[in-house]
Amino acid sequence: MNFDDTPEQARLRAEVRQFLAAHHDELAHGDGAYLEEPGHERVDELRRTQAVLFDAGYMGLTWPEEYGGGGGTNAQQAVINEELHRARVAGPVGHVGLGMCGPTILRHGSEDQKQRYIRRLLRADDMWCQLFSEPGGGSDLAALRTKATRHDDGWHVQGQKVWTTLAQHCRFGILLARTNPEAARHRGLTMFVIDMEAPGVTVRPLRQMNGHHSFNEVFLDDVVIADSERLGDVDDGWRVALTTLMNERMAVGGGGGELGVRSDVLVSHANRLLPRLSEERRVLAVEALGRVLVESLAARYSGYRLQTTLEKGEHPGPESSAGKLTAVRVAHATADLGLRLLGEDAVLARSRDGDWRWASAAASTPGIALAGGTDEILRNIVGERVLGLPPDRPRTPAAATATPIAESR
Amino acid sequence: MDFDIDDEQRNFAQHARDFFSEQAGPEHARTLLAAPGEAAPGRRVLAELGFSSLTIPEDFGGVGAELLNMALVAEQAGRQLAGPSLTTAARVAVLLADDADRLAAFSEGRLSLAVLDGPPSGSRPSMDVVGATHFLALDGDDLVIGEGRVTLGEPIDATRGLGYVELTSSEVVAQDAQARWARARQVACVILAAEGLGAADRAVEIGLEYAKTRETFGRQIGAYQAVKHRLVDDWVAVNQLRSLVWWAAWAADHAPDQLPIAASAAKAYCAGTFETACETLIHVLGGIGFTWEHDAHLYWRRAKVDRLLLGDESEHLAAVATCTLHAADAAATGELQPI
Repeated sequence: MNFDDTPEQARLRAEVRQFLAAHHDELAHGDGAYLEEPGHERVDELRRTQAVLFDAGYMGLTWPEEYGGGGGTNAQQAVINEELHRARVAGPVGHVGLGMCGPTILRHGSEDQKQRYIRRLLRADDMWCQLFSEPGGGSDLAALRTKATRHDDGWHVQGQKVWTTLAQHCRFGILLARTNPEAARHRGLTMFVIDMEAPGVTVRPLRQMNGHHSFNEVFLDDVVIADSERLGDVDDGWRVALTTLMNERMAVGGGGGELGVRSDVLVSHANRLLPRLSEERRVLAVEALGRVLVESLAARYSGYRLQTTLEKGEHPGPESSAGKLTAVRVAHATADLGLRLLGEDAVLARSRDGDWRWASAAASTPGIALAGGTDEILRNIVGERVLGLPPDRPRTPAAATATPIAESR
Repeated sequence: MDFDIDDEQRNFAQHARDFFSEQAGPEHARTLLAAPGEAAPGRRVLAELGFSSLTIPEDFGGVGAELLNMALVAEQAGRQLAGPSLTTAARVAVLLADDADRLAAFSEGRLSLAVLDGPPSGSRPSMDVVGATHFLALDGDDLVIGEGRVTLGEPIDATRGLGYVELTSSEVVAQDAQARWARARQVACVILAAEGLGAADRAVEIGLEYAKTRETFGRQIGAYQAVKHRLVDDWVAVNQLRSLVWWAAWAADHAPDQLPIAASAAKAYCAGTFETACETLIHVLGGIGFTWEHDAHLYWRRAKVDRLLLGDESEHLAAVATCTLHAADAAATGELQPI
C-alpha cells in the first residue's frame, strides 16, 4: 500500500500543475458537473478546454499512440486527473466520447474508423453521443425497436432514440439498432457509427426539470449508414454494447470521482454559512456535513482501490457499478446539504447573495440516478453478476433471450 | 498509487482467518451470555500468537508490524466475534510506548490490561475489563495504571467484557499524556472498525447464502429485488468500509496528519454499516433469524454495542466535519495545505 508518487509521477504532477497554472485563462473551470446549461457558448468553451488539454498530451493518455492517444499508463492518467480536479478545471465536455464511444471504437472498430475518429474525439473536434435508449426501452435496452435494414447502398435506419446526451452538439454517435427481428432479443442487434449530420437525422433537445437541455430526442427517418460504419459483426451488437456500458459505469462514478458538486465546494460553503446559524442548528449541520464527507471519503477511497486494479491492467468489471451507486448518493446528499445550509433563502432558485449552484445541483441529481444505469439496474448487476444472486425476471433468462422481438408485445 | 494489500498480507489474513474460525465463533459468544467470563480465544492465546503485540516494537517483545496488519487480523477476529478486542491491544501499544517493562509483560501475556474510558474514580462502561488485572486510565493530564474494583453489568454482547471500574491504586505512567491518549483512541477506533468490518462482512455473507437457497412462491428469495437490493446495499457499504479501514490503518503509520479524520470516518461509517447489515440479515432470514439458536442476533448484539463504544456515530461525524472545516479554513488563509 502506497499513495506516494514515483519520481516519474511526481515529475508529471509538477509539470501538469505548472501547465494548468500557466494556461489558466484558456481553460474552463467549475464547481462540479451538471451545474450549468450546456448552451453553445459554454460547450464551445469546454471544447476549447479539452483541445488545450489534448494538445498538452493530457487527454486519452492510455489510448494507443497510433490513433492520437498518449500510449501511457492508467497511473499517469490518474495523476493528470487529480491535478485537473485540484485546479478546478471543468470535466471534459466530450465525456460520452471519452468514456463510452471511444473505448467501443477502439475495441470493435475497423482500422480505418480508429484512424478517422479517435484523434478528433480526444480533442473534442468532434463530439460524440450514444444512441441507445428509446421511448419504449431504457433499462431494458434489448427491447429497442429502431430498425436497420440492409440495402445495396448500406443500412437504412428507421426509429427514434431518446435521452441522448448533448446530441445537439455532436457530429457522430454510436447507434444500436435491430438488424434481425426474427432473432432472440439480445441476438438481433448491431452497432453502427452514425453521422449526426446525415439526411434523416433530426435532433430535438428536451428541456429537463433543471431547465437545461442536456438530453435530446433523436428521430431517424431512413438514415443511410454505410456498411463500413458497422462496429463489430452483424447481429453481434449486444456484445459491443456491453463494452460501452461497462465503460460507462466506470466513467460515471466508478473511479470514485464526484458526480455533482465538489465536496471541497460544500466545505467552503459550510465554512461561510455555519457562523450564521444558531447554536442548535449548527450542531445538526455539522453532523450532517460529517455524514456527507464520510460518504464522500468512502466513495473516493473505494475508487482508489478500483483504480489500483486498473493500474494492474485489469478491465473494469461489474464491481464498478457499485461506484456509480455511491457517487449518486454522495451527489444527492451534497446538493441537499448545500441547500439546507442556505436556510429559508433556498426557497428561491438564487439566494440573496446570488448563489444558484445548490438549487441547480438539487434539480440535476434525479437525472444522475437514472443516466448510465438506474440505481435499480445497477443493484441487479451487482447482485446477480458479482454476488451470484438469482436473476429477477418474470421468465427464465433462457426464455427471455429465446423470444424474438417480433413476437414480444 | 497502490491502494491494496500485498500477497504477504493476504496470506497473513488467511492465517488469521483459519485461526479465528477454529478458536472463536458465534457459538462461544452465545455460551458466554449464559456463563460470563473471558471471550474466546482469550488474552493468553492472542498473546502467544503475537496478535495482541503486533504493533509493539520488536525491542519490547512485540512483532513490530504496522497497524494495517493488525487491522487485517482484527477483521478476521470480528468475523468470529472473538475477544478480548484487539482494540485494547492496539491502544495499550500506543499508551505504553515508552514503558519497556510493561510492554514486554503485556506482549508475553504476563500483564492483563484494559483501558478505561472516563474518570478513574468511576469509569464509564469500558471494554475488556473482564479478566483484566490492571487498568490504564487518563487522570487529568496523567496516564495512570492501577488495580481496580470491577462492576459488571448485564451484557448485551458478552464478548466485549464490559464493566465499570473504580481504580483502587494508581501510579503515574506518563505526564502530559493528552495527545498520546487521543492518538491511542484514534488507533483503537480503526481497529474497532476493522472488527466491525469483519463481522458485517460475515453478516452479509450469511444473508446471501440464505437468499440463494430459501424459496418462497416457487422462487429463491434472492431473486426478489426487495431482498436483493438490501443485500447489495449492505455489500457495497461493507466494501466501502473496507476502503476506509485500510486508509485509516495505513495513515496511522504513514500519514499521521490524516489519522484523526480517517479514524473517525471509519468508526462512524462502521456504526451504521454493521448495524444495518445485521438488521438486514435478521429480516432476510425471517423467523429463524429471530431465534436464540441462530447466530444472527449475536452479530446484531455486537453491532448494537460497538456503535456506542469509543464515541458514537454523531461524535465521529462531527469530528470529521470539524477537522475538515478547520483544514479548509487554514488552507484558505494560507496556513496549511488542505488534506
